[in-house]
Amino acid sequence: MDFINLLALGFGEALTPTNLGFCLVGALLGTLIGVLPGIGPTATIAVLLPITFYLPPLAGLIMLAGIYYGAQYGGSTTAILVNLPGEASSVVTAIDGYKMAQKGRAGSALAVAALGSFFAGTVATFGIALAGPTLSSFALSFGPAEYVSLMLFGLLAATVLARGPVLKAIGMILLGLLLGMVGIDAGSGEERLTFSAMELFDGIDFVVIAIGLFGFAEIIENLENHEARGVLVSKLSRLWPTREDFRRAWPAVLRGTGVGTFLGVLPGGGATLASFCAYSFEKKISRHPEEFGEGAVEGVAGPEAANNAGAQSSFIPLLTLGIPSNNMMAMMLSAFIIHGITPGPTVLATQPEIFWGLVASMWIGNLMLVVINLPMIGVWVKLLTVPYRLLYPAILLFCCVGVYSINNRIFDVVLAAGFGLLGYAFRKAKCEAGPLLLGFVLGPLLETNIRRAMTISHGDPSVFYERPISLVLLIATVGMLVLMVLPSFRRTREEAFQEEEA
Amino acid sequence: MSAPRKAGSTGDRPDFLTAALFVGFGALGLWAGRDLTLGTVSAMGPGYLPRVVCWLLIVVGAAVGGLGLFRDREDIARPRPWPVIVILAAVIGFAFVAEYFGFVAGSVWLLLVGSVADRDSRLREVLLLTAGLTAFGALVFIVGLGVQMPIWPF
Repeated sequence: MDFINLLALGFGEALTPTNLGFCLVGALLGTLIGVLPGIGPTATIAVLLPITFYLPPLAGLIMLAGIYYGAQYGGSTTAILVNLPGEASSVVTAIDGYKMAQKGRAGSALAVAALGSFFAGTVATFGIALAGPTLSSFALSFGPAEYVSLMLFGLLAATVLARGPVLKAIGMILLGLLLGMVGIDAGSGEERLTFSAMELFDGIDFVVIAIGLFGFAEIIENLENHEARGVLVSKLSRLWPTREDFRRAWPAVLRGTGVGTFLGVLPGGGATLASFCAYSFEKKISRHPEEFGEGAVEGVAGPEAANNAGAQSSFIPLLTLGIPSNNMMAMMLSAFIIHGITPGPTVLATQPEIFWGLVASMWIGNLMLVVINLPMIGVWVKLLTVPYRLLYPAILLFCCVGVYSINNRIFDVVLAAGFGLLGYAFRKAKCEAGPLLLGFVLGPLLETNIRRAMTISHGDPSVFYERPISLVLLIATVGMLVLMVLPSFRRTREEAFQEEEA
Repeated sequence: MSAPRKAGSTGDRPDFLTAALFVGFGALGLWAGRDLTLGTVSAMGPGYLPRVVCWLLIVVGAAVGGLGLFRDREDIARPRPWPVIVILAAVIGFAFVAEYFGFVAGSVWLLLVGSVADRDSRLREVLLLTAGLTAFGALVFIVGLGVQMPIWPF
């Protein structure tokens, strides 16, 4: 009964005109950037972070969340129609979706993608509502030692499950941790690593790093990889799937939802991993594996359901434990912190309207997205023809004003430009910048808890392995490291992401 | 993969760059934190964990570089300095111009200079876009959201 009441509270919050409005804005923006290649949700949320400071907390969070899952819908539209995946998570959708479009079944593919996503979003939203209270009551019994082990597990798992070389990702996390240490030390009040720059005493602002690494660096890279984007739009046929498509798609949607919800919860998981895994899973169990790559409807339904479910369920660790599992969630965490809210088990108890309002808004947002995407598909396709030279000045302006507005000072803008250069160097070095953000937001929390745990135990490291929960997490962490060294696991991991290279 | 691979030789250049960046930042961190109190394990000072992280970073950097030696040769995608310089100049210029001459001047600077980065830009489009975005920005950011910045230089 309590559950129903809380959900009702959530819907009450989410249905106020302001929140409904920002939910719509988020969903629209998400679809827009999902459709436009070259602008991802990470960069968009980085740009909009400073703006949420001017909004009520819940409205800002609802909008940012809407951008994230909205992008999953938008990305699939372009993947199917023009073979241009707007987001990394819809790369696999393009394989079979575009083939379907070429065979005149574009409408069918789009409808399956949208309806499958909606179904998955609904299930995952319920997953959050159910898992939230359980997990967070569990987390209330966590001491500093458990938090340290949990964060170590989370950070390492994030590198193993994400794309790219693990060693580089670990280095990026360490660099993020180091950047998070700049400023006044919370324990002693001493300033450190600031090079005596007064502007750095409060630490580096998250927005400065995020906009530098994702906003500026992305613009520079897009301008460098200058290429004519010939856009060939497939003709749209009937928008409703045939009975045959329905029959074949719905079990795939169910499986995709399961895979996505599960993988989304894992650190480093989220939409991209979910869609890749769902695709290879569908291919493996299909009775006609030869159809994959030639327009199999399961190859659209499974990954599309999975990426949406994964996007949704990756909120679970953030909202219940206060631990972001990927760089998108690191952004969300800093959006909470801008408003002075530290997400985690206590928020559920003290500010239930934030958690439940956000959960309810996700379901409403998913409903809006079906409406935004299916009948309005023509509008989004037109947008694809907008050239990048008209887009990037607007992004540039948003980035600059956003960074300046944090503290109204030149220093932050110059620093962000510096991070833009650094981000550019990292792209040349083939390092993903995402783990750096994770390390940066988790750094202070990790350090406080390590110092606290060691103070309580008088410097005896046995606290980490004498407490059962902590021990289990550490064993899992070590197990993962061992797995990474095994060649057979490394091969499987590479295979999971191989379709992208195709 | 845009970077060309050459058969027969080894050395992953992006890995070398990564190693240089990691080791460089680790060393920089050690140097910047050289005067910080180390403390003991049970009462860690402000310098304890930064030093641990810096050393780990150096170790990881060295490992990436060392392993890169044995990989097939891969070159770094050739950098084109033009967009980098133009975009960074536009952004840094924006901060100074906006601070002293107000939002409109800063925005016009940013958009005009920024447009130079893309060789596809057409003058008429750039002018229209600059005017539109500047007006939009002034209305939404300064008037609407209340960002603390004067609109005009006077």
